[in-house]
Amino acid sequence: MGEINLQASGLAEDILGQGNGGREGELHLVTFNLGEEYGVLINQVQEIIRVGNMTVVPNSPAYMEGVINLRGKILPVLNLRKKLRISDEGITKSSRIVVTEVNGKVLGLLVDSVSHVMKVKGEFVEEAPDEVLEVDTDYITGVCKLPNRLVILLDLEKLLRKEKPAVMEEEEA
Amino acid sequence: MDYSALIKDYIDDANVHIGAFDAALMALERDGLDRDLIQNTLGSLHTLKGNSGMMGFESLKTYIHQVEGILKAVVEEKLPLEGVMETLLDSANIIRDALSHLEEHPSNHPDLAEGILSLKNAAEGNGKDAGQKTLSLKAYMGSKTDTIKVDFKRLDDLLNMVGELVIFKTRMNQIEERIKPVLASKPLIHELHEGLQLIGKTVSELQEGIMKIRMLPVKVVFSKFPRMVMDIARSQGKQVVLSFEGEDTELDKTVIDELGEPLLHIIRNAIDHGIETPAERINKGKSPEGKIILSASQESNYVIIRVRDDGRGIDPEKIRRKAIERGLSSEDALPGREDLMSFIFMPGFTTKEETSDISGRGIGLDVVSRNISRLNGQTTVESVSGKGSVFTIKLPLSLAIIPALMAESSGEIYAIPMSSVDESVKVKESDIHMVNNREVIRLRDQVLPVVRMNRFFNLGGAKRKKFYLVVVRKAEKRLALAVDGLRGQQEIVIKPLDDTFGKSAGIVGASILGNGKIVLIIDALAFWSGNGLAKDSGAGQQKAPEGERS
Repeated sequence: MGEINLQASGLAEDILGQGNGGREGELHLVTFNLGEEYGVLINQVQEIIRVGNMTVVPNSPAYMEGVINLRGKILPVLNLRKKLRISDEGITKSSRIVVTEVNGKVLGLLVDSVSHVMKVKGEFVEEAPDEVLEVDTDYITGVCKLPNRLVILLDLEKLLRKEKPAVMEEEEA
Repeated sequence: MDYSALIKDYIDDANVHIGAFDAALMALERDGLDRDLIQNTLGSLHTLKGNSGMMGFESLKTYIHQVEGILKAVVEEKLPLEGVMETLLDSANIIRDALSHLEEHPSNHPDLAEGILSLKNAAEGNGKDAGQKTLSLKAYMGSKTDTIKVDFKRLDDLLNMVGELVIFKTRMNQIEERIKPVLASKPLIHELHEGLQLIGKTVSELQEGIMKIRMLPVKVVFSKFPRMVMDIARSQGKQVVLSFEGEDTELDKTVIDELGEPLLHIIRNAIDHGIETPAERINKGKSPEGKIILSASQESNYVIIRVRDDGRGIDPEKIRRKAIERGLSSEDALPGREDLMSFIFMPGFTTKEETSDISGRGIGLDVVSRNISRLNGQTTVESVSGKGSVFTIKLPLSLAIIPALMAESSGEIYAIPMSSVDESVKVKESDIHMVNNREVIRLRDQVLPVVRMNRFFNLGGAKRKKFYLVVVRKAEKRLALAVDGLRGQQEIVIKPLDDTFGKSAGIVGASILGNGKIVLIIDALAFWSGNGLAKDSGAGQQKAPEGERS
């Protein structure tokens, strides 16, 4: 199952350098901690960065942590705990921002810590059983049942789907 | 219009057509008769003929007409292709020759009488080729063109990169300040300073240069209107003369692109509501022809666009009655002139009794105000009953880089676009008064509502004894925005904020400062709604329509 333990830095160049392309039927994941272990597909992850100078955007949804300056680009950062309605733990030393790119949209996900890069065979993945999970299952594709633990697979495309905007845009007359 | 610019356009265009003609002739000579190819070529020649006629090059036009005649005869098999091939090849060269001649001496119209005659002969089958016409080598190359077509996206990317360069430059200057005290060598400090100065100068020249490339004259938009004005006026039995002033004023292409629709609505309104019928005008002692003047001028970093008409003007009483009818104002309220005028920019507002298919359905002016404010601009209207109205649009020269006032509120810096700032004043808490349960300030002869930025954005923060008011404007209305401090003016590069998770009321975008920090850019319009004025809307106060929906 080719699990790779993280470099101490927990930073992008060290982690992402390790895994390229999985074999047929294999999922290549970056996993992180939000109380439970969550995973996203590695090809949707651009990099992993430390939490830097955050600018809070007023009048935005509570789960929007703010925006940061990522090498001259403005990166919105989403507090994944708040978005998934898990109790918020606040930012700590081990907090990281997982920079993801889905359909050309770049978004940062604030997580407690980044844990692993791993390859998982397709047969370990099962549909998410509603009753086991305490989180909002709308954004979950499935669960990886590994011998010793569970990894919940996040559906980033659903997570990024445009919501009913908080402020209605006035319709064109 | 500038004649030399016209001739340049004409020549550039003509060279494309003649190139197509040449290519077709070569193919015909190689592969023999091909009717489709000839038909295509006829299209090119026809355009070229038309353009030449418009430019007044009669002889060239007639010559091309003759060439067309021969080609048509070939298609209809009245003439054998082989018999006229030489003549056709010659004709292409003669046209090219005439074009390069025109380019050098635009006022010296070519005389092709001789050529026309020999073409006529050829068309009649007396295909005596008048000797092969050879061109000077230079003429084969056609003219060099001074214009290139570039995908706008590339210019956009370039401007973005320059925007970033500006940010980095500011950052280098800050590093310089920090390095000075620790650097022992005076000459080295001096050299560093000089180097950075040079970089700064070049960067701003580069920025200016790229901005200039993106500029287009407003006549690009203006020229779309004469026909529309004629048609609409005619359909209403009115006579309207549209004229332009300052149509060479240049604006960033992105602004130009967005300008058409707002102008369309304003002009439509001017014809529909403003200009009277000829009979009515004569009655009033005006000329039967109504005038609409579309003008543009540049004032420092802004472009002012005005639509003036000499029609019946806007009747404040009519607006007042309509506003009461729509529940926007009450019978006993006495809204000021500014308030009244701002009603006409509200969605669904019309004073017209019956709607026409042109305007009067109450859509239009609200779109104008919204589109213009999206461009960080402002719309205002002045009107004298019986004399006419003036709509004024004030726009920043560019959308990408704007001057902004940096204001501090609860420890955060926000950028307020200068386009919506009227003035700023330092005040004491005791200057603020309560009227109708609402905070106001008396500024010279005007009473302005006060919106506290930290309250609008739920930022918290304690009240200060002394603070600043930034007077912002939305069309005809003004309000005072309370902030903790001012940090001067700065040019900022606007970057959009991701709106996947909704837009934030009051924020239009963000900008990165020289120190790498992100500042949010304020949308002043939002203060009239939401947490701003709409929530506790008092008597006589305009209720912003979007306020209730958030």
